[in-house]
Amino acid sequence: MADELALRIQRFDPSMEERPHLERYAIPLKDGMTVLDALIYAKDTLDHGIAMRFSCRMASCGSCGMKINGRPRLACETQLKDLRSSTVTVQPMDNFPIVRDLVVDLESFFSKHRSVSPHLVRKGDEKEQESPTGEYLMTPQELDSLVQFTYCIKCGLCSSSCPTGSTDSLFPGPQALAQEFRYLQDPRDEAREERLDLVDTEHGVWRCHFAGTCSAVCPKGVDPALGIQLLKRHVMAARSPFRRRRERKGAKVFPNPNEDLLRKD
Amino acid sequence: MATNKRGVAGWLDPLHLNIERWAYVFQRVTGLAVLAYVLGHIGDTSFFVGGPFGEGPSPSSWSSDLSVTENAFGHVVLVMVVLVVVYHGINGIRLILSEYGMIFAKPSRPDYPYKAKSLRTVQKHLIWVAIIAAILAALYTGGTLFG
Ligand code: SF4
Ligand code: FES
Repeated sequence: MADELALRIQRFDPSMEERPHLERYAIPLKDGMTVLDALIYAKDTLDHGIAMRFSCRMASCGSCGMKINGRPRLACETQLKDLRSSTVTVQPMDNFPIVRDLVVDLESFFSKHRSVSPHLVRKGDEKEQESPTGEYLMTPQELDSLVQFTYCIKCGLCSSSCPTGSTDSLFPGPQALAQEFRYLQDPRDEAREERLDLVDTEHGVWRCHFAGTCSAVCPKGVDPALGIQLLKRHVMAARSPFRRRRERKGAKVFPNPNEDLLRKD
Repeated sequence: MATNKRGVAGWLDPLHLNIERWAYVFQRVTGLAVLAYVLGHIGDTSFFVGGPFGEGPSPSSWSSDLSVTENAFGHVVLVMVVLVVVYHGINGIRLILSEYGMIFAKPSRPDYPYKAKSLRTVQKHLIWVAIIAAILAALYTGGTLFG
């Protein structure tokens, strides 16, 4: 590995400039250095004006998502030596408006997350929802069928990498849809019909064509693409003509189409 | 604030990304190619009944139309058609199966280094099946047309 890294940072102030440009910084390399370390060095010693976002430095807070050599990654988790290149280019995440340099506006991302009601919904007595009288239990198998989706740190990498997101602003994106699956799959949740109606729309779950990039770039193994495909399965089972026929015959209880996820191998 | 959306370029750029993303790009492009072919083919076969503006069946216009593909360029086009149709069809089946959640491993607790399970299962092999089948079918067609 060379002793020096050429770090090219995309600079852009939309209030003053027409278009972004890349600026080059020479960074002295150290063992174990991450892209975030290189950025902090550049900001501390070479150019205080670089706008960037970070906090935990340990892949927990989800603030340092950016495009590194063309691929969305967390800067704090990306070791320079793993990039195998003496030139590293960092750019802000796609699909979100740029505030300045590497900082993007995640407001639409969080509002889409909120739009899927990312919490357990219990019908009936509101007091019970606010102050439950007991525990709502689930089996370990039920937990296993959704736990990976709870690991999301809301970094936005998945939604920034989604090709649908590059043209459709109304698409909820992989993060929100994976959370929708997480609650639909939860046996304690009671908003099944509302959740299905929310995603079975023109700009909903069917806009996913399984490019899988969300899962490839997710730093936490959430695998949103898997959640979205299993969500489609929920929708199809609910809309199936067989179900409607059984409904006419008076059947009330319908099995979760993803019940096989609960089987022990 | 700059919107930073890449538009259609965002669909078509799989660089630095996973093979499923490449499969997605090919699926879009081959879909358009198949659509163009089908439209052309409908116009083309209409010569059998006298052309789009003709009156009644006309075997002579049909055979003159057929002769359009009876040359090296026409053969190359037909080989390409086989290539894109076979790829698009098999990858399409893969996508249908994935929408039924049938070709994935079950969700489970993720372990470091957190490789996505959905990208490591049968669905990935099916992409290679689509590519290899398309190439073999195109080679067979080429062999038949040029042989
Ligand atoms: S699903 Fe993964 S990539 Fe998407 S926001 Fe959550 S942690 Fe980040
Ligand atoms: S700084 Fe918190 S995830 Fe990178």
